[in-house]
Amino acid sequence: MAMSREDVYEKVQEVLVDALGVDEEEISEKATLMGDLGAESIDFLDIVFRLEKAFNIKIPREELFPAEALMGNADYVKDGKLTASGMALLREKMPHTDLSQFEKDPDINKIGDLFTVASIVNYVQGKVG
Amino acid sequence: MVGIMKFVLIDKIVSLDSGVKIETVKSVSLAEEYLADHFPAFPVLPGVLLLEGMIESASWLVREKQNFANSMVLLEQARNVKYKSFLAPGMQIKYTVTVKTIEDNVSSFIGSGVCCDEAIVEARFGLRHFNLADTDPAMVHADGQVVASMKKRYELLRL
Amino acid sequence: MRWIWIDKFLEFKSRESAVSLKNVTLAEEHLHDHFPGFPIMPECLIIEAMAQTAGILVGEAKGFKEKVVLAKISKAVFFHFVRPGDQIRFHTKIESIANEAASTTGKVMCGEKLVAEIDLMFSHIDQNLGGKQFPKENFVFTDMFMSLLQGFIKPAEKSV
Repeated sequence: MAMSREDVYEKVQEVLVDALGVDEEEISEKATLMGDLGAESIDFLDIVFRLEKAFNIKIPREELFPAEALMGNADYVKDGKLTASGMALLREKMPHTDLSQFEKDPDINKIGDLFTVASIVNYVQGKVG
Repeated sequence: MVGIMKFVLIDKIVSLDSGVKIETVKSVSLAEEYLADHFPAFPVLPGVLLLEGMIESASWLVREKQNFANSMVLLEQARNVKYKSFLAPGMQIKYTVTVKTIEDNVSSFIGSGVCCDEAIVEARFGLRHFNLADTDPAMVHADGQVVASMKKRYELLRL
Repeated sequence: MRWIWIDKFLEFKSRESAVSLKNVTLAEEHLHDHFPGFPIMPECLIIEAMAQTAGILVGEAKGFKEKVVLAKISKAVFFHFVRPGDQIRFHTKIESIANEAASTTGKVMCGEKLVAEIDLMFSHIDQNLGGKQFPKENFVFTDMFMSLLQGFIKPAEKSV
């Protein structure tokens, strides 16, 4: 089922309004899920569940929100920053996200900022074609 | 009408900025009956009672702002109520509820509950308020009773 | 008082849906505070009744191995209030279920009246949530709740 980016964005917007209890106006492509929209881990699960239903796709959680797999691993995180292998893994797992800014200072506390509305729209569009 | 209070989920109003914000506190005691079932060997305040604490806090903002004009102040909707940590006996939670809007018959709020710098609960919710006599004039006496009790309760909470 | 807000199950379809019932009675002490002069069932307790109905449905889907607790009230919207003498029914279904969480939707009915719509999320707390230690036994699904399922599931289905 091919969908235009606007169609995908609209549906993603609905999902985020329902999952996060925010107003439509608060959602923009650049809005970060954690910083701007107040999402936390239970919300990430809620978003995955709703996206699966809305788009009739299966979303392995680590595909959409892979940071958690990296965080606990000493190979990938050193002194609060991602190592080269951590960064490589993140790039591999998040092809739908622009990591160029993050790469300049791969501070794990800033990983949350990577999860923007745009990255979700990109991911979903990749899945629905 | 005096009696033991069995359903009041805040202990005290710490501050009230009319029409703007309220801060309240609740201490949790092992003697609260529902804790025996929630849960055996792991007593914690049920999540819905944390929400109730915020609903009651918001209700006082409405009642005070409207000078107790409406007897019924009820939850109309709650969205994205998140439970972040447990509240156990010996702990005290501080609720902060801020007004988004208060109109004649509806109001909306953002609330949070914190204990020792740790977030316990957060919610966005809205109340509706009215008098029973609005739909049934015969109920004006019931409205009067509720308002009188709520005024007395307000005095207790502000001591 | 006992912290149980449903009286019986009317239907129970494992891993799918359930319907429970509650009679609202003046013997419930908290009604006399909410409000003195005109008792109505507090909305938060209507949410709790739905959470108990849906929580048992989710718990049973996992063989009661997980400690299922309410993590988020996604939405709770109320259209009518509930009075002593009312009998209310909680209809709920599992929308999504994963290893660590589940989401449910539900409607509360009083006769033909839609009282509320309540959507919830449950998470399965493990032994070390945020460094907290929990007692090993499943303290969430006590005998008080399990007895509600007599006649709906076989007794051996709760793991200790």
